[in-house]
Amino acid sequence: MAQLTRRRFVQLAAFAAVGGYAALETACSRGPKQKTIRFFNWFNYIGKETLPRFERETGVKVTYEVYSTEDEMFAKLKAGVRGYDLLVATDFMIPRLKMLDLIEPIPQNLLQNLDNIDARFRDPIYDPGLQYSIPYLWGTTGIGYNTAKISKPPDTWWALWDEKYKGRITMLDAMRDAMAVSLLMLGLPYDSKNPAHLAKAKDLLLKQKPLLKQYTTSGYVDDLASGEIWIAQGWNGDVLQAAREKKQIDYVIPKEGSFIYVDSVVLLKGAARKQHVLELVDHLLKPDVAAEISNTVRYASPNAKALPLLDKELTADRRVFPTPEMQKKLHLQTPLDPEADELWNQTWQDVKVL
Amino acid sequence: MTPGKAAPRSFGRIDAFLSSVVSGRLKGASHVLLAPSSLVLGLFLILPVVLILAISFTKRGPYGSLVWSFTTSNYLQALRPAYFPVLARSFLFAGVTTLLCLAIAYPLAYALSFFAGGFRGALILMLMVPFWNSCLVAIYSWMILLGREGLLNGLLLRLGLIQAPVQFLGTSFAVILGLVYFYLPFMVLPLYACLEKIPRSLIDASKDLGAGVATTFLKVTLPLSLPGVFAGCILTFVPCVGDFLTADFLGGTKTYLIGNLIANQFLAAQDWPFGGAMAAILIVILSTGIFAYLRLESGGPEADALKVR
Repeated sequence: MAQLTRRRFVQLAAFAAVGGYAALETACSRGPKQKTIRFFNWFNYIGKETLPRFERETGVKVTYEVYSTEDEMFAKLKAGVRGYDLLVATDFMIPRLKMLDLIEPIPQNLLQNLDNIDARFRDPIYDPGLQYSIPYLWGTTGIGYNTAKISKPPDTWWALWDEKYKGRITMLDAMRDAMAVSLLMLGLPYDSKNPAHLAKAKDLLLKQKPLLKQYTTSGYVDDLASGEIWIAQGWNGDVLQAAREKKQIDYVIPKEGSFIYVDSVVLLKGAARKQHVLELVDHLLKPDVAAEISNTVRYASPNAKALPLLDKELTADRRVFPTPEMQKKLHLQTPLDPEADELWNQTWQDVKVL
Repeated sequence: MTPGKAAPRSFGRIDAFLSSVVSGRLKGASHVLLAPSSLVLGLFLILPVVLILAISFTKRGPYGSLVWSFTTSNYLQALRPAYFPVLARSFLFAGVTTLLCLAIAYPLAYALSFFAGGFRGALILMLMVPFWNSCLVAIYSWMILLGREGLLNGLLLRLGLIQAPVQFLGTSFAVILGLVYFYLPFMVLPLYACLEKIPRSLIDASKDLGAGVATTFLKVTLPLSLPGVFAGCILTFVPCVGDFLTADFLGGTKTYLIGNLIANQFLAAQDWPFGGAMAAILIVILSTGIFAYLRLESGGPEADALKVR
């Protein structure tokens, strides 16, 4: 079986985990008081030496646990599972986690390596001034395709609406990605709160629906590799990890522009042994540590000092580090306020049920 | 487990028991005797349902938090006509699955009960083995089998039955196939249990009195097996209506079911109150249906058939 990518949706595992952990949680939290911290991260999203090295250098033990979907992680935290100290979460989750009082501010004065973060990641719209989050890795939404079936890179979002590929297309089963892209294609503000704009986006998605095989965030990489589908909306890391094994997959960012996401480290409320947790955050910010992570998982690092230490082929890869012209067309999604969130949810639901 | 024939009869017993409790004859003893089952029912049935009901009347706060103030708006939203097709589709899929399961399971259970002889135990075990597997593994196996480049397409192409690969995945066909596969044991087992209990002397008597094979089946075996049919259909239909994993993995854009809609509210959309309202509506529809059916059935043919014994 192919290597699992980090967003692979193992729904059952998610459910088992939510139930199982609640029980495990109480058992573990009563353990002996040693220097242990708990780190909750995306599946397949860290270097091999990252944590062992930290443990050697500080004597602090790290319990490392992973999740495979945001929904799974969020459902778990929302359901009251506690005991994690550090979490990696995607940008748009951060205002939510903050509002639900699940994370706490990061005392920046205690971090020595914060300045390593590239200036353009220092004041993001989802967390101005990085009060609650430290950027970890970043990536883009784009188009994955099977090179055996499609020879010319489909560098426009309209390719996902192309009758030629009927039944061989999938879209991400992710509200933000699917809806924002159709708003972008219509030339409308990609974070619109205007019901008329959203109605147009809905119509565009409904026009595409008969051509789609599926809305999915999990299976599209395998499907692309096997030829089950030819073209898919996807995330660069997913597609590129698979492309390393199976040469007939490639990734392109459409010329209309697209979206970037920034996965960030956040400090969970009530984190025990906070000093050690901050030591780990500082460790992750070290240039060589950040470079090792990025080299392993093939996602771009927001750590400016790490860039010279990255594999040359990685930094030269325009699918990971887009050209400056393309970067201008990449947007960070604006967090939706609760009313807009409601409206978007409703519209997306209507697309899916029809 | 003999849910087949035992079910309608024990309903009668429970009724009698309950009426004696209500009339006060069994007061003290009943509480003690009922305590373990009340506890289990309370903890695993009543409590979750009450929780879902409670959540369904709350409001969705910012970013999916729960605001504990009473509202019926979730129900108004759930009853929007936009959701009727999803509900109808779910019932249609569950209905078709149940009928297909019945069509496959009846001959199977019949053969197991009447002709399997010494192999019976082994055969029943084989029926159950796929069921022990993680259903996720089973779903992925079906995806491998049904894919465009999958084994089934490969076989059909090689046999020359098709010219180009057929799109199986992402269709209603794949979802119903998956559902039939997963729920077949739920149909076979009660049917088998019921057929197994039919006294062979009745069948012999029927034959002695001159009835042919077909008449014996239609007048004796079939009526006596109806409680099993009923139990099997309920055990298949009800979980089928709420299934979402099968449609998630094997289905496409046209197979979005009520189970997917509800699961989505609890995960991606983070709208627990709306999900709760949907779930509550589903529970009401299903339990009303079952109770209505039970009422009808209590005067129906198998009640007569049972009296024969």
